[in-house]
Amino acid sequence: MVKKLITEDTRMFLTGNETIAYAANAAEAEFMYGYPITPQNEIMHTWCKLLPKTEAGFLQTEDEISAGFSTIGGILAGKRAFTATAGPGNVIMQDAQSMAEMMRIPFVCAVMQRGGPSTATVIYAQQETRLTCFGGNGEGFRIVYSTAGHQDLYDYMIKSFNTAWKYRFPTFMLADGYQGKMREPVTLYDPASRGIKMEPTPAFLRAQGKIDVDRKANHMRNTFNLEEELMEVLDSYQAEFDRISPEIEEYLEYKAEDAEILIIAHGIVARSAMTAVDELRAKGIKAGLFRPITLRPLAVKPLRAAVSRAKQVLFTESANGQLAQMVLEKIYGLQTPYSTLFKMGVGVTGDDIVQKVEQMVKTPATV
Amino acid sequence: MARTRIVLAGEGGQGVQSIAKILVEAGYEAGKEILYIPNFGVEQRGGVSIAFCQVADEKIGEPRFSKGDIVIMLSDRAIDRCSDYANENSTVIYDSSVCSKKPTCNAKEIIAVEANKIANEQLSARVFNIIVLGVLLAATNVLKLDDIKNAMEMALGKKFDAKPELRELNYKALEMGMNMIQKAGV
Repeated sequence: MVKKLITEDTRMFLTGNETIAYAANAAEAEFMYGYPITPQNEIMHTWCKLLPKTEAGFLQTEDEISAGFSTIGGILAGKRAFTATAGPGNVIMQDAQSMAEMMRIPFVCAVMQRGGPSTATVIYAQQETRLTCFGGNGEGFRIVYSTAGHQDLYDYMIKSFNTAWKYRFPTFMLADGYQGKMREPVTLYDPASRGIKMEPTPAFLRAQGKIDVDRKANHMRNTFNLEEELMEVLDSYQAEFDRISPEIEEYLEYKAEDAEILIIAHGIVARSAMTAVDELRAKGIKAGLFRPITLRPLAVKPLRAAVSRAKQVLFTESANGQLAQMVLEKIYGLQTPYSTLFKMGVGVTGDDIVQKVEQMVKTPATV
Repeated sequence: MARTRIVLAGEGGQGVQSIAKILVEAGYEAGKEILYIPNFGVEQRGGVSIAFCQVADEKIGEPRFSKGDIVIMLSDRAIDRCSDYANENSTVIYDSSVCSKKPTCNAKEIIAVEANKIANEQLSARVFNIIVLGVLLAATNVLKLDDIKNAMEMALGKKFDAKPELRELNYKALEMGMNMIQKAGV
């Protein structure tokens, strides 16, 4: 058993990366596997700095391929294990992540997005949205939480462990370099104090007891001989994913009820949108925000309802419409016209959004 | 004012992020809402290093902002990179003993300080950034000197204890920085 460092509510002034390490400890995570990449490094650094007190484990592997598969190994052995990565590291970890989808392994990974393609910047982006939701050679049987600040990082890191182990789909906390590196106040707490019970993490392989006497054999397949055999399994995964989606979907609306211009944004950009909504409302423009918290699965019903109510929609992202593409597919058939404010690999400010919405008031979107 | 937005930009290695950390720590300890984003490239030295800091009385929304209330630029390249963060409401400060040009951006006022020159001639090159911290403290006027001193103690206390004269040197640097702004009459 690891030792939990946070036993009572504690207000701290931390970077997001530090917050994630504390959250993993609060969730009683036992092991982290990882490979250094900016802007994620301080998750590993902090996790390691705390090891003498937490008595948890850490392995730095030779690359992210290995970090991903080692994480799977730890989980198979019954450890509450996790990893974290970013950018090119996220790209080369896709093989392990796909395997976790195929074998229904409760893989937990924090993704701190940086600019892309390839090495690009070490700073910030929302360009790993599609990769994190649908990466690998699979169908996106993944759960993805998109966070918007340090309290989210703490809350959703803890939640990711429980979601992963409860539903047995790989679970990602999608953040970014700003959130990783920035400092703001955050309240750390013991999950038990919020009524959160951690899901047990039984071993998948070499579990206790004799096969066919004490327990069934656990047959975990990653290879199939026949096409139809594979499809049967994947159909069952899709059906399971659809069944559990309503339990998992999360979203946040901010002044969206009577919004004539609905801003759709995720992660840290949604926070800028909130600043913009307040400024626009002060100017008499009825703006509101719909922020999907789960990007996989998307909360489709409330999303369609909010879009239907609005006169215009604005998609804004620090990417070239990666969320917008996912949303547009889900709101197919609705007639609300939309406009876009995409800044690839660059932060979106409140002012950016205010100016764009003011333009949309003058010249409404027609698409 | 409910929220003060600060852009602090210089060359990597000038200590921009070090003083930003002291500033935001001081703000946090004083009970302010704080949001600080360090922004730098892949270089170990050189390149433009920018600290985006916000100090507010209420919860902060946008992490990045378009225009700063205070924009401090400590090198020519910082002027090139960060002039866009200033508008007619901004107080722009630059180090005329480092920069070879004067910022030409929109501003409420543009103030030249000579932190580098004074550090080298009167104190020590190592406290250049602390002079700038004094400049920042006086220009923003949202935190108290004691808050900053406490935060410096948290960051540098061990070094100060080993060499008490360093504490005096840093305090002196802070004071000289603050005087530069008071003289400019901000």
